[in-house]
Amino acid sequence: MKKWKQKPEVLAPAGTLEKLKTAIHYGADAVYIGGNAYGLRSRAGNFTYEEMQEGVTFAKEHGAHVYVAANMVAHEGDLQGAGDFFRTIRDIGVHAVIVSDPALIEICLMEAPGLPIHLSTQSSATNYETLNFWKEEGLERVVLAREVSMDEIKEIRNHTDVEIEAFIHGAMCISYSGRCTLSNHMSARDANRGGCSQSCRWKYDLFEMDHNGMRQSFAVNETDEPFSMSAVDMSMIHHIPDFIENGVDSLKIEGRMKSIHYVSTVANVYSEAVNAYCKDLANFTFQQSWEDELWKVAQRELSTGFYYGTPKEQQQLFGKRRKIPVYKFIGQVLDYNDSSQIATVQQRNSFAIGDEVEFYGPGFTHVYQKITQMWNEEGKPIERAAHPMMKVRIQMEAPVKPLDMMRKAR
Amino acid sequence: MIELIATAESINQARLLIDADVDTLYIGEATFGLRLPANFSPEEIKEICHIAHAEHKNVCVAMNAIIHNDRIKLIPRYLDFLQEAGVDYVTIGDPGVIHLLNKYEVPIPYVYDPHTLVTSAKQVNFWAKRGAKGAVLARELTYEELISISQHADVPVEVLVYGATCIHHSKRPLVTNYFSYTNEKSKNQEHLFISEPKKPKTHYSIYEDLNGTHIFDTNDINLLPHLEKLVNAGISKWKLDGIYTRGQAFVEVVKQFVQAKQALLDKDWSEELKEKLNEKVQEHHPSERTLGEGFFLKNPNDVQ
Ligand code: SF4
Repeated sequence: MKKWKQKPEVLAPAGTLEKLKTAIHYGADAVYIGGNAYGLRSRAGNFTYEEMQEGVTFAKEHGAHVYVAANMVAHEGDLQGAGDFFRTIRDIGVHAVIVSDPALIEICLMEAPGLPIHLSTQSSATNYETLNFWKEEGLERVVLAREVSMDEIKEIRNHTDVEIEAFIHGAMCISYSGRCTLSNHMSARDANRGGCSQSCRWKYDLFEMDHNGMRQSFAVNETDEPFSMSAVDMSMIHHIPDFIENGVDSLKIEGRMKSIHYVSTVANVYSEAVNAYCKDLANFTFQQSWEDELWKVAQRELSTGFYYGTPKEQQQLFGKRRKIPVYKFIGQVLDYNDSSQIATVQQRNSFAIGDEVEFYGPGFTHVYQKITQMWNEEGKPIERAAHPMMKVRIQMEAPVKPLDMMRKAR
Repeated sequence: MIELIATAESINQARLLIDADVDTLYIGEATFGLRLPANFSPEEIKEICHIAHAEHKNVCVAMNAIIHNDRIKLIPRYLDFLQEAGVDYVTIGDPGVIHLLNKYEVPIPYVYDPHTLVTSAKQVNFWAKRGAKGAVLARELTYEELISISQHADVPVEVLVYGATCIHHSKRPLVTNYFSYTNEKSKNQEHLFISEPKKPKTHYSIYEDLNGTHIFDTNDINLLPHLEKLVNAGISKWKLDGIYTRGQAFVEVVKQFVQAKQALLDKDWSEELKEKLNEKVQEHHPSERTLGEGFFLKNPNDVQ
C-alpha cells in the first residue's frame, strides 16, 4: 500500500526579492536566499538586511519560510562579525540558516540561540550516523549529499528523525560538494568561498604518460571528444512519490542565479506534483505536461543523478548537445479586466502581433493564444512591444491573473 | 616534537621506512580511507603494528572516506579490530564515524581529516572539543594562514610536506564514463593525466577506485626548502604521501626529510644542507612529475 507521513515542503531558490516573491506566489513553501556574507554565491543576488526583512514579512503573510544560506568554508579572518550576522538574521525572523562550516555552526549555536540550523549539502552528508551526529549537535535539518541513492534515503529515514532535505532539480556539482578545489588551483578562485569557476566543465586532454615523460593522448583528431567532467542537470519530476513515501521533509530546487522565469516555472511544477500526490495518492498519476513545462526552462539534459544508480556517461555532457527548445520570458501580467478581456502586461522581452504566446500562473494554469490586438499605454494600437518594461494591453481569449507570466518559443 | 608521517605501500616498505626513522606509518584500505598507495588487509595491519611498535613507532590508519550507509555499518567492527591490533590513531573525515567512536567510547585517538574543509583554527577547535587529537589542514592554505591557524588551534595540525595533492573527488567513475563514451578501452589507470585547455604542459593525475574519481594537482608538494618556516609556525605534524612516488624512491625522499627534521631539532640547519637535501628529493622524485610549493608562498588575497 502506498503511504506517506507528511507533505514535504517545496524549497525554491531566490536570488532577489522579486524572485523570492515570485517563488512563493508560484507555490514554493519555502525559499532560500543569500546573506551579504558567508554565502557561496558571493557574486550573485545577496540580500541586504532590509530586503531580507521585506522578504520575511512577505513570506510570513503567505505562510512560507525563508532560509539564509551561509554555507562558505571560512578561512582565518572570515569569521569576524559572524555572531552579529546570525543574531541579526534571527531577529529579522529568518526561519533557518544553511551552514556547512562547523566553525560557523558553533558561532551560530552560541551567539544566536533560537535560530534553527540546516547542514548544507557542502558537507556531503551520506549516512545516517552523520545525521545523528548533527542532530545531537542541535541541528534541525540536514541537506543530503547529491550522491545518496533513494534506497539510502529510505534507510537514513529509518535510522534518524532529524529533518531531511534532498535535491530534486537543477544543476549539479560533479564532485562531492565541498571536495573540489579545481578552481582554487586552476583559476585562483576559492570554490568553497563562492568562487568556483566551473572548471569541471572545461575540455581537458586525457593522456597516459610514462616515466620518461612520453605522452599518449586519447583524443588525437580534431573530431575526437575531449575529456570533461560536466554533469547534466537533475530533474526528479517523475519520482516525487519516492521522496514523499521515504519521508523526505524538504524538496530542494537548485538555482539562486536563475531567472524569475525559471523559478516560477519550476516551483509551479513541483508544487503541483506534490499537491496532486498528497491530495489523492490513490489516484495519482504522473502528468507529462509537468515534464514538458520543465523543458521550457531547461539548459541541459535532465537526469536522476545518483538516486537510482551511479551516473554513467549519458549523465555527462559529451558530444553534440541536443537542441533544447528555448522559451523566452516576454512579460508579466499586471492587471486583467474581465469585462473587456484585456490584460495589461509589463514587457520583459519583445513580442509582436501574430506571436503564439503562453500565459502561465500559479496552480499550473495555462492560456495559449495568438496575439491579435495590442495597444500601448496611450491606447494606440501597436504591432510590436519593443521597449523594455513598457506597459502593453493585450486582447485576451481567456482570463489571466495579475503576476501571471508570459513566454514564447524562440 | 615533530612527527613525520609517511604512507606505506607494502610491509617491506613499512620496514624500510621505520629503518629510515619515520615516526608514524600511514596505512589503511580503500573501504575506509582515501587515496592510499595500497590496501592492507587486517592481518597486514596487525603485522605492521607489530613491526612499528617494536621500534617504538606509531601506526595511523586512514578512516577518512566519505562513508555511505553500507560502510557505516562496518565501522564498529573495524574500530574493534583496530583497537585490538593496537593502532595508535586514525584519521576521520565523516562526522558519522566520530559519532560511533564517541558512542562506543572506543579508546582510539583520531585526527580530523575532511580533505578540503579545514581552513580555520576555530574549526579545528570545534573538532578538538569533540575529541580530535589533531586536524589535517586543507592544502589550499597559505603560509600566513597556517601560522594563524597553528597559533590559535588547541591541537596539533598536519600539513603535507611531500607528495600529491588531491583537488577533486567525485563519486562518479569519470574516466570509465569517458571511455564508455569514446569506446576506448580503459587502460592502466596508474599513469593517467589530464591537462588544462591551452596549457599542454600541465599534468593532473587522475584515477578511479571504489570511492570514485580522484584528481591531483599538476605539481606534487615539496616543502623541504620551507621546513624551517613550519618549525617557526609550530606546525608539528608533517605528512609525506607516496601514492605517486613508489618503492625505494619514496624511502629515499623520506630519508631526506628525516635528516632535515633532525638537523632542525639539533639547530644544525644550514642553507647548504637544505640545498643538498632538496636536490636529493628532486633526484628521487619521479622524473615525469613536477614539484612545487602549492599555496604555501601565496598571499591569502591572491585567491578570491
Ligand atoms: S568546478 Fe565543478 S565540480 Fe568543482 S566545485 Fe565547481 S561546479 Fe563543482
